[in-house]
Amino acid sequence: MKILVPVKQIGVVDEDFELRGDGKDVDPDFLNFEANEWDDYSYEAALQIMEAADGVEVVPVTVGPDDAEDVLRRCLAKGGERGIRVWDDALEDASPAAIVQVLAKVVEKEQPDMVFTGTLSSDRSYAQTGVGLAAALGWPHAAVITGIEWKPGDPKATLLRELEGGLVEQLSVNCPVVLTIQLGINTPRYASLRGVKQAKEKPVEDLSLADLGLSGDDLAAAGGSFRVRRMYKPETGQAELIEGTPAEQAARLVEIINELKGAA
Amino acid sequence: MCIGVLKAPTTFLETTVIEAGQNPEQVTRILFQDFPAWMLVSFYVVAFCAIAVFLYGCYAQVRKYARGRSLSKDGLWSGIKRMIEALLTHRTLRRRDAEAGRNHALIFFGFVLLFIGTSTITLEYDILEPLTGLKFWYGSFYLWFSLILDIAGTGFVIGLLYMMYRRKWLALPKLDYRRPDRDPSDPDYARDWYRLEDWLFLWALVLLGVTGFLLEAARLVWLQNDPTVWDYRWWSPVGAIVAYGYKAVGLTSAGAGDLRIGLWWFHGLLALTFIAVIPYTKAKHIVTAMASLALRDAKPAAHLPDADLTAKKVGADSITDFTWKQLLNFDACTKCGRCHEACPANATGFPLSPRDLILTLRELSNATLEGISMPPQDRLAAIGDGVNQVRPETLWSCRTCAACVEICPVGIEHVPVIVEMRRALVDASEMEPSLQKALQNIHNKGNSLGENKRKRTAWTKKLDFEIKDARKEAVDVLWFVGDFASFDPRYQRVSQAFARILRHAGVDFGILYEAEMNAGNDVRRVGEEGLFQHLAESNIETLQECDFKRIVTTDPHSYNTIRNEYPDFEGVYEIEHASAMIQRMLANGQIALKKKLGSRVTYHDPCHLGRLNKGFDPPRESIRMLGADLVEMERSRDNSFCCGAGGGRIWIPDPTDKEKPSENRVREAARIDGLEVLVVNCPKCMNMFEDARKSTGNEDNFRVMELIELVEECMALGDEAGPDAGGAPAGASPGDASPAAQGA
Repeated sequence: MKILVPVKQIGVVDEDFELRGDGKDVDPDFLNFEANEWDDYSYEAALQIMEAADGVEVVPVTVGPDDAEDVLRRCLAKGGERGIRVWDDALEDASPAAIVQVLAKVVEKEQPDMVFTGTLSSDRSYAQTGVGLAAALGWPHAAVITGIEWKPGDPKATLLRELEGGLVEQLSVNCPVVLTIQLGINTPRYASLRGVKQAKEKPVEDLSLADLGLSGDDLAAAGGSFRVRRMYKPETGQAELIEGTPAEQAARLVEIINELKGAA
Repeated sequence: MCIGVLKAPTTFLETTVIEAGQNPEQVTRILFQDFPAWMLVSFYVVAFCAIAVFLYGCYAQVRKYARGRSLSKDGLWSGIKRMIEALLTHRTLRRRDAEAGRNHALIFFGFVLLFIGTSTITLEYDILEPLTGLKFWYGSFYLWFSLILDIAGTGFVIGLLYMMYRRKWLALPKLDYRRPDRDPSDPDYARDWYRLEDWLFLWALVLLGVTGFLLEAARLVWLQNDPTVWDYRWWSPVGAIVAYGYKAVGLTSAGAGDLRIGLWWFHGLLALTFIAVIPYTKAKHIVTAMASLALRDAKPAAHLPDADLTAKKVGADSITDFTWKQLLNFDACTKCGRCHEACPANATGFPLSPRDLILTLRELSNATLEGISMPPQDRLAAIGDGVNQVRPETLWSCRTCAACVEICPVGIEHVPVIVEMRRALVDASEMEPSLQKALQNIHNKGNSLGENKRKRTAWTKKLDFEIKDARKEAVDVLWFVGDFASFDPRYQRVSQAFARILRHAGVDFGILYEAEMNAGNDVRRVGEEGLFQHLAESNIETLQECDFKRIVTTDPHSYNTIRNEYPDFEGVYEIEHASAMIQRMLANGQIALKKKLGSRVTYHDPCHLGRLNKGFDPPRESIRMLGADLVEMERSRDNSFCCGAGGGRIWIPDPTDKEKPSENRVREAARIDGLEVLVVNCPKCMNMFEDARKSTGNEDNFRVMELIELVEECMALGDEAGPDAGGAPAGASPGDASPAAQGA
């Protein structure tokens, strides 16, 4: 019984940053690398199932360069005995569709019973990887999950999804299934630094594209439904706190309205 | 050896106190005179049984302690000396309760003298005389002995009667056993059996003392016709007075003889029973308190014990995870309630009383580790919701301010116990989400606020000069700024003021810029030992690359850990708190004052500077040199009341339905008539009190200011339109690598 949990290292943008030369992304010098918050929840959901039953293995997998291993270590500090990292230079700037190809191969190799991903990653917010992977595998999927009722061996999982207006949707889905997990489904545990250090002893399997039987051309073929044209920071509007007596405030307000009228 | 010493005065005094014609050997206390053989034998049987029960109890206690974690203790000899000093002066017992201390001294010294007296009799009668024929307990030695013991016994009884009065009529809140960490419906809410034990203990001792006198008097009346007894009655004055009382109510010599037998047995059996139960009752504090005092750490809260991160387990969630010394500490508690009264968490209604925490662990250890075999592991769990378990919310209520450790008269060290248990909680990820977030921030970004490393020095941009980068050039003074002093908008103003003061005083200083990380003091106190060690090692690595003579910081938390804990990681530095440096520079004129403060101020001791590192005086002297009228709060210096931010509580918001420790403190300050400024000396206290001043409605009554800000005010730097416009910085010594050279 195995749950595969794809996790991702994300770049968090500094308050002051510059764009990359080609204008399509942030200069990596201005990024702080962290674990994607959603993955904390999906990994926790997998660990809770593991701890509630015997013989369940949880395997974190990431697609990323050397230093993305930190993300796996942080997962392994919380639980799980081994991780998988896939990287190839051809994966630089890979589209979600390409990542899906890679993860599908990992699923083929690992034969998990369930795959839990985060609903989205906070750097790109595409929210495609989980559902794309289900499509590639031909598995059912359910997205934005806020509750899971399932134990190893159950043919169906009962899931909860939170909808607008305070509604909750309960659904049942055939297994194996790919679930994308929403924030707040649980309280992710803390990975103590001692745990992180001890997790360094746990094996992480480094795989290349070739190890998975893929090539750069396969990724290119997978392509994607879009490409990034440019990234930019829109001009921000100005805010002003109007102070003074009500009469003064009203006068200033009129002034601003007139200014804006004039500008238009 | 003591016989020789005692014999000499005996011979010398023989002539002065023993009547002519009397054999000094006849002048002694009769012991078993007129006892039938069966009575004598039964007495020895009972006595040996009592001693056997006592010795088994001692063995069971030692076996219990041996079931704790091992610990090697250095400095035992100096510890013993300190313990003896504490016993003789009763210093720890007199603090903040002088009356209880004095009366305990009466009981203690009375008990010790009576014990020595009784032991002397046993020594002669049961050991020396049968073995060697040596006798010394007669004549004038006996008479002096008798007088001294009468005085001791009187003190003993008076002390005990006061304790009874205190328990019954003073209704001291600290002797109220109702627990803040339990509900009235919980079975161990008030531990009523403690009250019963207290009273049994007092009554047993009082009866021992009183029957001793009654017995003494009965003996006098019984032997009133024997001049070797009656002539010397005033050598036992209390006995003599009671004897006249007996005679007044018509007690005859024969009647007194019968009374003597009855009282003799009552007194003897009570004494033997007392000895037998010492290891099993409150009475064991006689031994455990002394041991606990001798084993005290020099800096129990300022320097926390190291944890082996490679071990299978870190922290303490089971009673056997505590060291034998800690198990002994638990047994030393006498429930005096001084910690209970001093604790800021307890005072503001949080579910923590240091007393109850220690007693809970004592009950757990007694219930599980005193038996012949060990109970199953699950019964040893120390953290949980059950009876004899400590609840996690209790552990998280602690501010590690060490008020409890500091006042404990028997040397119990609560803070390391709490931190060990927190280590187990952190390892199991049982903590508030806000705390988890802060720790993650520190792990990811080196500061608890989750700010980008680059923003650490944003506060320096408002200065019109540039601070040296200590990583790039040599400096005299390396200023370790700390998280709150770097990022907290209110305290940034203080950091800027301190930079200007240093510059004007001509100090050659620099900072670590974005290489500085959280010093780790509070991270360690939260129980995240791995992250603490990582921070200590990272900062030490940075510091080793820099060329400086000493470190200064405005942050008492950073100060504490760098001073006391970094040396364990090979980071040995000379470090001083900003207040000490300011005091020195004010005293030697390096800081030139242009005006004096006339205002009425009070000063709040930060725990980490005051209680933990004894930095009580430099800030006060500085305030006085500024010309302010310093009025102390009710709780000051070693009894300072924590602002509530310590022990990582700055990362766990206090609930809004309770009074916060900071509000309690601000209200205390507000009780000072005409108070203009509450002076603080710590970034975290500043943060807490600025909020509390508003939430208690004192915003218009007084200001909260850093000592540094007051100094700057008196230097009148603001009046100069920038230091550069004001010419050469005041006090800059020529030839000094003046920071002015790098002015903007």
